[in-house]
Amino acid sequence: MQDMNDWFPLWLSLRVATTATAIAATVGIALGYLLAKGRFRGRGLLEAIVTVPIVLPPTVLGYYLLTTLGANSPVGRAWEALFGGPLVFTPTAAVIAASISALPFVVRTGRAAIEDVDARLEAALRVAGHREWRIAVLVTLPVARRGLLAGVALGFARALGDFGATVMVAGNIPGRTQTLPIAVYDSVQAGDYSAARTGSMILAAVAIVVLLSVTTLSSRRP
Amino acid sequence: MTRRSRSCAALAVAAAVSALVGSGCAADSDAPATGGDGGGAVTEIVVAAASDLRPAFEELGAMFSAETGMTTTFSFGSSGQLREQIINGAPFDVFASANVAFVEEVIEAGRGVASTQADYAIGRIVLWTPPGIDAARSIDEVAHTRFRRIAIANPQHAPYGTAAVEALESAGIYPAVRSRLVYGENISDAFRIARSANADVGIVALSLAIAAGGEYHVIPDHLHEPLRQALVVTSTGARGDAAEAFADFVSSPTGRAVMIRYGFALPGEAQPGS
Repeated sequence: MQDMNDWFPLWLSLRVATTATAIAATVGIALGYLLAKGRFRGRGLLEAIVTVPIVLPPTVLGYYLLTTLGANSPVGRAWEALFGGPLVFTPTAAVIAASISALPFVVRTGRAAIEDVDARLEAALRVAGHREWRIAVLVTLPVARRGLLAGVALGFARALGDFGATVMVAGNIPGRTQTLPIAVYDSVQAGDYSAARTGSMILAAVAIVVLLSVTTLSSRRP
Repeated sequence: MTRRSRSCAALAVAAAVSALVGSGCAADSDAPATGGDGGGAVTEIVVAAASDLRPAFEELGAMFSAETGMTTTFSFGSSGQLREQIINGAPFDVFASANVAFVEEVIEAGRGVASTQADYAIGRIVLWTPPGIDAARSIDEVAHTRFRRIAIANPQHAPYGTAAVEALESAGIYPAVRSRLVYGENISDAFRIARSANADVGIVALSLAIAAGGEYHVIPDHLHEPLRQALVVTSTGARGDAAEAFADFVSSPTGRAVMIRYGFALPGEAQPGS
């Protein structure tokens, strides 16, 4: 049983981080575009709210998520009524925590990349009578793709590495919600330093690969 | 243009939510995929256990699995943190706390089956000194300045931490050592701090000291409130029955033998001398 479960934390982490990155990328690029191009009231506030997980202690984020999604909250009750089980302490809760942790990296990097796109390119298409969403799809996003990808890569690394928020909303249940960072913590608690070393090496290696690719993405101009 | 980009964002949010729901259902459906016979039978129970129980319960869990074919999965933490998780809906089948109060709180919150509450052990604390440091043989010695850092569990939510503070207070040295205390998240975390020589002495659970070895001295139990460790079943139906079987196993002759080996006193039996 022990052997079968050895790789579970890595597998779960990859699954959670991938799903969370997909969500953060979709929402984050849309928000980045909105913040770069939109002119509306409350834009500063929206940006602050979206960005706050970068500076907030993960435990505070975890606490807010637990009180918002917990079994005694309206959202938690609604979820339980719909799906027959609590939302917190499931892999889904881990995905939510990881998505919110990853989101600001996609939004901030994405927004900067979109703002960097030469406005004359977009103006030319506007003159030609194209609609804004077509301009975004045909020019803005493709031109900004390196920056967008860099943001998504950073978001993935953050999602993979989250501990504080995840442990609060998803707990530390081996074989169910124990992601790799939580497994490292648990191994250290148990005095099993060799397991902690393996997990840490995997996480450190992924982090370095991500940062290398971010550097490559941001240094070569399109 | 703003309206366009806003509707774009709304679409993205909708897509993300559906992805989340999809992933959630997929993740939940294969989550407890341990054991093989399926068909609605309970093949796994999840036990939330105070971290002083790690060595003893890992042994008990393996024995219980061998006997019943059910997998036992443990989530170890401080009793206070586990209580919070259970009250917030964590899917545990048994809660084995390091004290009685947290078990009662779980029952009051409607998350535990009151009729299943039972004392299963009485915990003891010890002074554990890392190799290379002149050991603390009695609690009074902890006041000595050679102990620059003293590891205990966080008394706010870890019963073993509360007992450590009580013992220091009974010895009359709490004010003197207060600024030298370092808190572990739970009792195995406190022990980790001492074992890695990041503290010069630790006040830890006897069960962990027995499992790890090294030099330790048991603290007389009249110096602190008894660590009456209680458990309660926290699920219902077939899972609840399986959970009760595990709870009974802990108190069975086999279970009691294991608990005694890890230094626990058993309720209703004479205390072993310290």
